Amino acid sequence: MAMFGKKGAELVREAKQAQATVDQFRPFNKDLFEQVIKETEEHYSHLQERMSQIRISEPSQGVDPNFVGGCAQHRSVLRNKRCLLAYVNARLGKIQQLRWDLGAVLPDDIAENLSATERTFFQGYSDALGSYMNDINLDLTVDATPPKDPYVQIRVIGNLGEVLLDDQETSLLPNSIHFMTRTEAEPLVLQGLLEIYMG
Amino acid sequence: MEPAGAGARDEEDLVDGGIGDVDGLDDVGADELRSDVDLLLRVWQNEKCAPEILPYEATLVERVREQIQLMEENIEAFATEIKDDLMLSLYRMDVNRTLFLLRSYLRARLHKIERFPIHIVDNPELWDRLSEHEQEYTNKYCEILAKHFEKTVLIRLPDQYGSMLKQTSLASEENDMITQPQLNTFVFCRSRGAIGSFQLDDKGDEAVDLMTDDLYILRYKPVRKLLVTDKIELI
Repeated sequence: MAMFGKKGAELVREAKQAQATVDQFRPFNKDLFEQVIKETEEHYSHLQERMSQIRISEPSQGVDPNFVGGCAQHRSVLRNKRCLLAYVNARLGKIQQLRWDLGAVLPDDIAENLSATERTFFQGYSDALGSYMNDINLDLTVDATPPKDPYVQIRVIGNLGEVLLDDQETSLLPNSIHFMTRTEAEPLVLQGLLEIYMG
Repeated sequence: MEPAGAGARDEEDLVDGGIGDVDGLDDVGADELRSDVDLLLRVWQNEKCAPEILPYEATLVERVREQIQLMEENIEAFATEIKDDLMLSLYRMDVNRTLFLLRSYLRARLHKIERFPIHIVDNPELWDRLSEHEQEYTNKYCEILAKHFEKTVLIRLPDQYGSMLKQTSLASEENDMITQPQLNTFVFCRSRGAIGSFQLDDKGDEAVDLMTDDLYILRYKPVRKLLVTDKIELI
C-alpha cells in the first residue's frame, strides 16, 4: 500500500480545483474514487487483523503494538471516509448551482459529466426546489443581481418568432435587438435564446 | 397566498414581535414610521450577514407580497390610462427592487438550509424558524442528500463506518459529523438604541458600551440575542 491517505488527499485536491473553475463541470473521477475505496477496504482488513492479535497485556508490559497499529489503520479509514464525502459533497454543491444557473433541464454536454446517482440527485434537487418555488408562487432563480434598470437591451440568438411581451405581440427574429423588461428577458437568457446586448 | 391573513395588517403585532419587551429603549416610534419595504431591507440584511438561519418573517413577507401585487395592478391600470413612460418606468423599478429584496431574502435562507440541513432538522429551535414550505423543502433536501451519500460512499464502507452522522459507530456516541454554522465569527453590527454596557463573554472580562447608531465589529454568538430582540442590526 502506498502512503496512507495520499489518494484521499488527491481526491480532495481535485474537488478544490474544480471549485475554482466555475465555467466547466468535470466528470466524476471514478478511477481515483475507486482507488480510495479500495485503500479504505485494505485499511479495514488490516485493522481487523491487528484487532484479532491484540493480547490483553499488563500495563507494566507497555502498549501492545497491535493496538497502536490498529489505531493508525482506524484513523486512516476515517480520513478516507472524510475525503470521499468531501469530494462527493463538493460536487453536489456544484450540481445544485447548475440548477440555479441553467434551469431544470441540463444540456447534454454537462449531463454526461454527471454520474448516474448525481443525475438522480439533480432531478431530486430540481423537483424539491421547483415545488418549493411553486408553493410560494415565486421564481427565485431570476433576479440574481440587484436590478439597476427595469429594462435591458437584448440580442436574439435563437429563432423565437412571435412572442407575447408585456402584453404586446413582438416578433423576435435572430440578431434583432430589443428593449424588454428584465424579468421577461432573464428566463430566455438562461435558456440561451437571448443575450444581454451591451451596445 | 392565504386571503384570510387576519392579523396581517396588524402593525402592533409586528412592532411587538420585533422589539419585544425592551426596557429603557424608548425610540420605538421610529419603527412605526418605517415602511414594510424598509423593514424587509433590514430583515434581508440581517439574514445575509448572520451565520445561522433567523426566524422567518411570515407576516412581513405576506404584507410585502400583497403590496407588490397591488403595485403591479396599479401599474397596469396606469399604463392603459396614461401614457407616461418615465413614471411607468420608475414604478416598475420600484416593484422590481422590492421583488429582488424578497427573492434574495428567500434565497439566502435556502442557502443556509442547504449548508446546515441536518443541524437545522435536529434542532427544534432552528426548525421552528422555518416557514412551512421551507420545512417541506428541508425534509426533501435531507432525503436526497442522505440517499446520495449512501449510494456513492457510505454503502461502500465497512459497516461501522457507514453512518452519515457519525464518523464511526464504534467510538462516537454522539453525531459528530454534522456541519454547523460558525457562530463565533465576527459580524458588523449597528446598535439601534443605547443599550449601555454589554457583556461579551460569560466571565465578564470583556464588555462593550453600545451606543445608538454606532458601528461595531463583534463576535456573533454573544450578540445573537440582541439581534433576535431587534436591538441591533447587522450590516
